[in-house]
Amino acid sequence: MTVHNIRHANTRHADSRHGDASDGAVGGRLSRVDGPAKITGAAKYAFEQQLDGLAHAVMVEATIAAGTVRAIDTRAAETAPGVLLVLTPDTIMEIKGASDWLGNPPTQKTYSPLARTVTYSGQHIAAVVAETFEQAVAAAALVEVSYDETPAIVDLSDAKAGDGIPIDVMTKEWGDAEAAFAAAPVRICAAYNTQREYQAAMEPHGLIARWQGEELTIWEPSQWLDGMARTYAEWFGVPFENVRLVSPYIGGGFGSKALALAHSAVAAASAKMLGRPVKLVLTRPQNFTSYGGRAATRQTVTIGAGRDGKIQSIVHRGVNETAVDGMWVEPLASVTSIMYATPNFSSKQNVVRVNTVVPGAKRAPGENPSAFGIECAIDELAYEVGVDPLEIRLRNYAEQDPEAKKAWSTRQLREAFAAGAERFGWSKRSPKPRSMRDGHQLIGWGVAAGTYPVRRAYGEAIVRILADGSVEVESSSIDMGQGTYTILAQTAAETVGVPADDVVVKLGDSRFPRAGVAGGSRLAGVMTGAVYKAATSALDQFVGLAISDPRSPFHALQANTLVVANGRITAPRGDGPDVSIAELLASVGRDRIEATGDTMPANSSAEDRYKNYTTIATSVPHTEGDYSRHSWCAHFIEVRVDEDFGTVRVSRVVSALDSGRLYNPKLAESQWKGGIIMGIGQALLEEGIVDRRHGRIVNNNLADYLVPTNADIPDIEVISVGIPDLHSSVLGGKGVGELAIVGVAPAIANAVFHATGKRVRDLPITLEKLI
Amino acid sequence: MTDQTTSITIPIHLTINGRDHSLNVEPRVTLLDALRDRLDLTGTKKGCDHGQCGACTVHVDGERVLACLTLAAQVEGREITTIEGLAGADGTLDAVQAAFLEQDAFQCGYCTPGQIMSAVACIREGHAGSDDEIREYMAGNLCRCGAYPNIVAAVRQAALEVAS
Ligand code: FES
Ligand code: FES
Repeated sequence: MTVHNIRHANTRHADSRHGDASDGAVGGRLSRVDGPAKITGAAKYAFEQQLDGLAHAVMVEATIAAGTVRAIDTRAAETAPGVLLVLTPDTIMEIKGASDWLGNPPTQKTYSPLARTVTYSGQHIAAVVAETFEQAVAAAALVEVSYDETPAIVDLSDAKAGDGIPIDVMTKEWGDAEAAFAAAPVRICAAYNTQREYQAAMEPHGLIARWQGEELTIWEPSQWLDGMARTYAEWFGVPFENVRLVSPYIGGGFGSKALALAHSAVAAASAKMLGRPVKLVLTRPQNFTSYGGRAATRQTVTIGAGRDGKIQSIVHRGVNETAVDGMWVEPLASVTSIMYATPNFSSKQNVVRVNTVVPGAKRAPGENPSAFGIECAIDELAYEVGVDPLEIRLRNYAEQDPEAKKAWSTRQLREAFAAGAERFGWSKRSPKPRSMRDGHQLIGWGVAAGTYPVRRAYGEAIVRILADGSVEVESSSIDMGQGTYTILAQTAAETVGVPADDVVVKLGDSRFPRAGVAGGSRLAGVMTGAVYKAATSALDQFVGLAISDPRSPFHALQANTLVVANGRITAPRGDGPDVSIAELLASVGRDRIEATGDTMPANSSAEDRYKNYTTIATSVPHTEGDYSRHSWCAHFIEVRVDEDFGTVRVSRVVSALDSGRLYNPKLAESQWKGGIIMGIGQALLEEGIVDRRHGRIVNNNLADYLVPTNADIPDIEVISVGIPDLHSSVLGGKGVGELAIVGVAPAIANAVFHATGKRVRDLPITLEKLI
Repeated sequence: MTDQTTSITIPIHLTINGRDHSLNVEPRVTLLDALRDRLDLTGTKKGCDHGQCGACTVHVDGERVLACLTLAAQVEGREITTIEGLAGADGTLDAVQAAFLEQDAFQCGYCTPGQIMSAVACIREGHAGSDDEIREYMAGNLCRCGAYPNIVAAVRQAALEVAS
């Protein structure tokens, strides 16, 4: 089967040396249960399935950034060896328009995944399907395209780009920010830029599509099986139930793998047209243009403050790029408006259309660039008024949500500052820029905070107690490295009362009980809640049987309740039988107990459920009710800057983070470190470089688009300062995955200022900006 | 143009994880695609297909090699080891594999086979002497999940075990 179903058979050796039984409970440091499959090569990722008759498709993309396709000459490609099909806008089957991820109905009756009108370089315009991958690649190179080219707006700095379109819903205002700024004794104002960044998951996007009659099976890495299945169903006019999406392991997503994309439609269409399964995997360069990375952003942050550094006003203006024919709003005030207490606030945001693929979600969309602005600006204020950068953050500490005017559910940010500063040795910092050095390396220490809202939604799971005493969990949620398999095993193990080794978790198949998108760090909170409910009701049934079934050895006891622990069932006072789960099930003649649990509001209709799992329309606001719910963190970072060459190295990171209760600290720490490392990349390395003549991303590969390597990364220490937050989730956790990247880039920029006396407000901080 | 697209296959014989395989492929087929698409050995991953990421690292005669930059026909008669062949016949994990699990040296797992194959070679080459040396000699294997500190810890642990 394609689902993850490998028990711990060959890992006991590794685990038994250092593990202990409590590791399997919620909050324990259990090693990944999907780990053995991943370290032995046994884990089959979605498009690694081997199917009979598999044909291979390769996309052909536009080489201009704007204009129309005049003609596509496919003759040479069609006669090339092995070629089965060449698809162009004229020859691809009709595909219907599909609703968007909010569930809004399509604006067009049909959808053309191959473009006649080109709005960005790299847009798909044709595809070749052949018997082998090599034949498809060779034939794709023979497709001749001619264009009528028109001028393109290549990026935000293009003179033709203009000021863009105001996005009124992004406006946030209270007090009189302009007047308060004008009256403030200390005023700072600066502009902060972030560049196009890419998710660059190591597993490229791709899929295998197979039709059997009107039934479509898609093996595709997916952060959202049910949402993508809905799109396929609408595209091809088949019932939702006819589409099965399978995604047992996902080789990284970081926001990029939640939607079915143009190439997905092409693969499914060509499979239908050919009557054969088709595999299509995007090349690495195509992964830079087939879906959007993080939009480039520009912000100005203006702070008016007292001489003591107390903020009186923040005026914030933001711009992000979007596509000519698609809308992406990167919410640039999401941290600006809540991090510090201010009586007066104003933020407005525009978007500017440029010739790019529609930008998309990359780890902490919104919060990440937002924090770069405000967390650098407050550092500038600290120097302006001569207050320590950590002290100024405490002086302006927001005791409640300044925007929603609600209490925080939990906010361990003060604790994060204290724990991080202590561990880092912040008190030994010499305040003046350029005052710490080691030979010709200038040393700088910087601090910045980060936050991410607790996004909540609903999920379903099935929990089964099986005849052999093991427990099985099924859900159509996914594991792209966050540790879903593991924490759901822990949740079921603890709730039912079996060792985690006896739990098998199956995920990544849309035929399983439903789940919403794995994005916005919501999955763990949602799914542990659903599994907890399902497991509780399975346990109740099991204990109920043991008490009431006349064949049960406990029947004569007339107990009110029984205890299940470590796979055995006993009476609470230990005065009765002691049997295994398997023995009890056998005695009452059952081969399984099964319960479904979900976290949907009671009385939800089938329609509500469908909408909940296939759109993001039903997610619950983080400020719902009486509380404002967020995760928080503080990063303390040391950089070393070579005085002669301007090269910046991060040499030490200590981060203290509040993600509430951690379901598995070992895995949460890994995710935090991963976020910090991606933040180091953003600060120092990552930038999509646009060729100004052709509007192309010229560094569209992993050698030229620089992601951090092992040699770029120092030791990273992460400290959990969270406490259970039951306003945020059933078991008390808040978000983990997106949080840690937020605040890393400003902490590095602040450290670079401390090292060099140079304020770089334009990411990435490359050496030419320092010399 | 035409010879680029003619499909002439050649018979090749590969020894992979101690087993012999015969296949007919075009001369342009890479070792990586031969493994993944023809032999159902999908443990070796494709991240870039251009020698930029290290996900496809395998051993040829004990040395680490990028399978995406190696033609299948080039390695006829050589000993190829992939991630599937690293554990013992009885399923006993290699020291590096066990250390990766224990140190949580991966998240999504996609770079992991390449990291592990690189790490085994790195230790064998004698380049796991210090954390800095490990970082340098493991720098050809990208991990976008950012498991690097845990990878360094795993390689350090495995190097000590191998030495003892
Ligand atoms: S796939 Fe071979 S180096 Fe990336
Ligand atoms: S574990 Fe995901 S890329 Fe390394």
